[in-house]
Amino acid sequence: MTTTVDAVDSPDRPDPGRTGTGRAAGWSSRLGSLGLSAAAIAAAFVLGGILLALAGANPFQAYADMLSGTFGSRFDFSLVLVETAPLLLIGLGLAVAFRARVWNIGAEGQLLMGALAGGAFAIYAPINSRAVMIPAACLVGAAAGGAWGWVVGFLRARWSVNEVISSLLLNYVALRTLEYTIRKPLRDPVGFQPVSETLPDPARLPDVPGLRVHIGLLIGLGLIPVVAYVMRRTPFGFHTRMMGLNRDATEAAGVRTGRLITAVMVVSGAFAGMAGILQVMGPESRLTGNISPGFGFTAIIVALVARMRPVGVLLAAMLIGALTLGGDVIQRTQQVPRVLTIVIQALFVLLILVADRLGRRSR
Amino acid sequence: MNWAAVFGAAAIIPLLNASIRLAVPTGLAAVGESLCQRAGVLNLSLEGMMLSGAYAAFLATHYSGQPWLGVAAGVGGGMFIGMLMALFSVTLKTEQVINGIALVLLASGLTSFLHVRLFGVTAPERFDPMGKLEIPLLGAIPGVGSVVFDQSPLVYLAVVLIIGVWWTLHRTRFGLAVRAAGDRPGAADAAGISVDRVRAAAILASGAMAGLGGAVLVVGQLGLFAQNVTAGRGWVAIALVIFGRWSPLRVAAGAFLFGFTDALQLRIQSASGGIESDIPFEFFQALPYLVTIVVVVVATARARDDAQPESLGVPYIKGARSS
Repeated sequence: MTTTVDAVDSPDRPDPGRTGTGRAAGWSSRLGSLGLSAAAIAAAFVLGGILLALAGANPFQAYADMLSGTFGSRFDFSLVLVETAPLLLIGLGLAVAFRARVWNIGAEGQLLMGALAGGAFAIYAPINSRAVMIPAACLVGAAAGGAWGWVVGFLRARWSVNEVISSLLLNYVALRTLEYTIRKPLRDPVGFQPVSETLPDPARLPDVPGLRVHIGLLIGLGLIPVVAYVMRRTPFGFHTRMMGLNRDATEAAGVRTGRLITAVMVVSGAFAGMAGILQVMGPESRLTGNISPGFGFTAIIVALVARMRPVGVLLAAMLIGALTLGGDVIQRTQQVPRVLTIVIQALFVLLILVADRLGRRSR
Repeated sequence: MNWAAVFGAAAIIPLLNASIRLAVPTGLAAVGESLCQRAGVLNLSLEGMMLSGAYAAFLATHYSGQPWLGVAAGVGGGMFIGMLMALFSVTLKTEQVINGIALVLLASGLTSFLHVRLFGVTAPERFDPMGKLEIPLLGAIPGVGSVVFDQSPLVYLAVVLIIGVWWTLHRTRFGLAVRAAGDRPGAADAAGISVDRVRAAAILASGAMAGLGGAVLVVGQLGLFAQNVTAGRGWVAIALVIFGRWSPLRVAAGAFLFGFTDALQLRIQSASGGIESDIPFEFFQALPYLVTIVVVVVATARARDDAQPESLGVPYIKGARSS
């Protein structure tokens, strides 16, 4: 069965016009939705341009600045990739969860817990070999993020507690836990700021050869085909997609959906947790209160814009990574607040929803 | 730690008074959300509605100096996001969870953008929050008077509105239509009720109440706006709807519990010596969110009946097979 679990919005009843049964139908509808996404993204930039003009900037100049400040040089492009790395990793995990229609919006907290546990491990574990330390810390981070996600999945499976609410509220708990840990037990005793001491050398991520971006990016890239394979070819992936289409039917077919929801939450939490420890071992080099400028929330947009497709997540993560960096650029050159890019990101999702609806009507 | 400062006889009346005050913004949003969910719409844009209302209220009060104009603007700000929510959830019939989350982001981005654009990095001057209005005679009742009848006029307005929502939902034709649209939209449609129109109206009402909640926060309590000033109150409000089993008065009671936790944690924080305390103050900051999670779990686990509206979150498409 190659039913395409399609589109950002799939109401409970799958639309017979869109769920092609053959491979060819799947591909043509996928190309169609790619076109719709591109049109929606273009429209979001147009609306963003209007806001730029209202804010007193020249939109054409601002977008030109954005482009040259992100893809204009190898150095700037490296910065885009540094921004892309966590979004890619978290977005992949969220793509799995959203495909199952499990709405994990707690990736921010899962990232922070991964960063905290992985960071503490990297500071205290007496390991002198980089080849041991980095994978071990990654595993600790992924385990902590997965555990934080497990709580949400458990509450959902055991008592049907809405995962949107519990995952979001746990973000605040995670942030306060991190803040406390770096203010007291893990605080660098000689520093003035509430930050941990710098990680020991074996826990510092090397750069990708030729680029100024840490190897965390390669981990994300390597996981794209893994996620694609699992979702496409394994029972877990099949059940996950099926549950996204119709949870009751999946339950009736003998799948224990409660267990599957928990598994999906653990997986997406683990991806976010690993992204967290990679930020600590990479760009940040220590635990601070602002390890994440909201990667966990931005990655929601990434997964949705990508329509929960692994390769799409890479493209969307680069687009939104570049947009975020571009926001810094135009704040410098055009004196436009960088939060404008958040508005544009929200417009991406809203306009893709509109485009899908119009596309469905015209078919 | 000086426990008398927290629970002593002299402290308990101000504590309960503060609980009511702190409960109102979240409570208004939560009761509006319960109406919206009873109509079958899972409105996750609530945090965005509150934020938009808070900012509209701030701007209007800042420029006009009239707090009541700010309150009205807050209602409008919430309804603005409500209109977008209705456009997507009702007209376009998209996945409600997704457009809800996207609208929160949109409101957060737009308010932050405007705020930085208008005021730069220097915070604008704080204005005085609306004063208290002690109700004559009732305010003189020992104990109860000082707790309930010595509040900002916005608190009394909120109480009237919350009772109004309960009354509308359970005692009017419109309320019946709302409940029908949320439980059996197909049957409601067959009975001649326009499900789309009822749901859109419920979303707008929820926007108005959440916007008012945001306005109360800014005009009645803080006297200032900061980026994402609502700090998750909209999400807590959605949790309170679940806690209150979709019944407006029980939801309002949940909001009081939340307000009490908030007031208590502020009190304990100051009584325990803040940053020097043995108990980390971050624990108290996280407490309202933790308590919310716990009460939702307990309420869901102990519920005997399934109070959740049957068609919650399912777009109603006329003519499509309905369950």
